[in-house]
Amino acid sequence: MRIKGIAWEIKASIKNWYRNKGSVFWTFAFPVLLILLFGEIFSGGNDGYTIYIQDMDDSFASQAFIDAMENISAVKVKIIGKDANVQEYAKEHAVLRIPEGFYNAIVSRQQCNFTLYIDPSQHQTNSVIISFISSIVDKMNLEMNNASVIVGYKIEEVVAKGFEYIDFFVPGIIGMTVMTSAIYGSIEVYVKYRKRGLLKKLLTTSFKRGEWIFAKMVYQLLINFFSAIVILAVGIAVFHLKASFNFTSVLIIIAASFAFTGIGMIIARFVNEEETADSAASAITFPMMFLAGTFFPLEIMPSFLQTIAKILPLYYVNEGLRNAMIYHDANAAMLNAVVIATFAIIVFGIGAVLTNWKEE
Amino acid sequence: MKAIEVKNLTKVYGNIIAVDNVTFFVEEGEIFSLLGPNGAGKTTTVEIIEGIRNADKGEVKIFGKNLNDEIKEKMGILPQEFQSMERLNVKETLEYFASFYRKSIDIDELIEMVGLKEKEKELYKNLSGGQKRLLGVAMALVNDPSLIFLDEPTTGLDPKARRNIWNVIMEMKEKGKTIFLTTHYMEEAEYLADKVAIMHRGKIVAMDEPYRLIEKYGSGARIIVETVDGKKEFKARDEKEVVRIIGELQEKYEKIEIKRANLEDVFLKLTGEGLG
Ligand SMILES: Nc1ncnc2c1ncn2[C@@H]1O[C@H](COP(=O)(O)OP(=O)(O)OP(=O)(O)O)[C@@H](O)[C@H]1O
Ligand SMILES: [Mg+2]
Repeated sequence: MRIKGIAWEIKASIKNWYRNKGSVFWTFAFPVLLILLFGEIFSGGNDGYTIYIQDMDDSFASQAFIDAMENISAVKVKIIGKDANVQEYAKEHAVLRIPEGFYNAIVSRQQCNFTLYIDPSQHQTNSVIISFISSIVDKMNLEMNNASVIVGYKIEEVVAKGFEYIDFFVPGIIGMTVMTSAIYGSIEVYVKYRKRGLLKKLLTTSFKRGEWIFAKMVYQLLINFFSAIVILAVGIAVFHLKASFNFTSVLIIIAASFAFTGIGMIIARFVNEEETADSAASAITFPMMFLAGTFFPLEIMPSFLQTIAKILPLYYVNEGLRNAMIYHDANAAMLNAVVIATFAIIVFGIGAVLTNWKEE
Repeated sequence: MKAIEVKNLTKVYGNIIAVDNVTFFVEEGEIFSLLGPNGAGKTTTVEIIEGIRNADKGEVKIFGKNLNDEIKEKMGILPQEFQSMERLNVKETLEYFASFYRKSIDIDELIEMVGLKEKEKELYKNLSGGQKRLLGVAMALVNDPSLIFLDEPTTGLDPKARRNIWNVIMEMKEKGKTIFLTTHYMEEAEYLADKVAIMHRGKIVAMDEPYRLIEKYGSGARIIVETVDGKKEFKARDEKEVVRIIGELQEKYEKIEIKRANLEDVFLKLTGEGLG
């Protein structure tokens, strides 16, 4: 290992990069702008407060309570069946369960509790719902007995997927940025360096190809992690995103960097004019960006496009990052990581083998 | 020892024989110039020697050996039309290339030597064409090589910039280094080279010291004399004849012009074409 050479290759690449306003824009400013813009557009709008009520009592008393809730104009009440899965409904909106024996409890003046299932991440909605419920409950208590509390409620927190668009969007933007910076970065290296004679110079030194690829990958990873951190930080600071990098998301970003660098190397092998190589890269990155669920969920696309998405590497990167960073679904995230890592090993290997180091 | 030995080197591209069974050697310490017009096969030849391209046939020895890491450490290279990283400055560029070698010379001295001290902090992309080329030559020197390859180091430069590069090359020769220079400027080869190989359509058509080539293939000198009676032209086969003819004129002329043969004439004679 020639540490000096590797260190200088990384240093030179970084200097050459940050002194180029264009590349800094595309790696940092552009994704951040996208987040600010799309985040703002899609985050707004609250369509009132919806609450599910599961009436286990089916009595005159429970109906009176439901009527009282429905009378609050800001609240939309939806009744769910007795055997409905409360946990699932609670992931969407708060669920209030009126227990069996509610009527009897009131009649016999015994303490009786409702259960409110809520998603703790929706503080604002929760506090409004709770204030509505307690106002009705207070009134009922007052009417029946002005001393002791008969009707009360207890709160159950449901770990819900109460996700917003921004939660979906930020990991997608990280995936997209890793993809574009790795593909365009490797084209820069393998097409432009060749044209400029830099690869020739490299060949005439005893610096090893492997050391050089290693240095270039370290540089690519530094850039990708740096931009991922900036994107995440903006998401957290501006949209109060609840996400962080864990082991799996780091693994996915590393694997993605190798995979997309491999794709760039393969493009560079077949297209050796700078402009054509850039166009080829755009022809690959743009459709992939839209089809792989970067900006909107796959579910809204026709099913044949959904099938196509599942053969795109970026899909697994985006899904993996979401599972790892937002949904905390460790198994799904790891599965995505394995898919993308396998793909990376194959594609990067092909790229390295195909690359023509020597001139013809 | 010979710095470079090339035997029966051949390289074919489709139906073009870029290098056609070429054999030559370069002595240690000399400036060897491969002279030829565009497309003659100079770059192909030099890049095969440097290990950048593979030959179809033939053999190359550098300091008596096949190319290996130890020999690479002793070589310094400026590829044709080389461009460095846009946004590294002069000093960073040299430090960057120096990092690929085990041995390296003092970068500040090197900058001083090629005369880029004032531009030390300037980014590569902001340098003039001549400065870029000077930096390119300096890049070929960072590892204190004993064998230096320069592929058309002065093409497209103005006379002053060309002079600067020639001076650096002469300085390297004085330090005992071997220089392999590719050019299509005959005055460059004539001025710098100890030995010139003239290349034409992949073949080396003549190889010798420049003045010997001129003696051998040049058509001597033409002496153009203007007298009161008008213009007259004499032909001289060599310098002795020039002196004799001028002596015979006994200063009965207004103006005299001696046009000596040069490598351009040699090339024309050998190939029936100009150097272009
Ligand atoms: N990679 C290649 N593929 C196909 N043909 C090539 C390749 N490289 C060189 N040639 C051909 O080989 C011949 C010699 O080219 P070369 O570059 O060696 O010439 P040169 O003497 O260096 O010319 P110049 O003075 O223009 O640099 C030319 O006809 C060129 O078109
Ligand atoms: Mg050439």
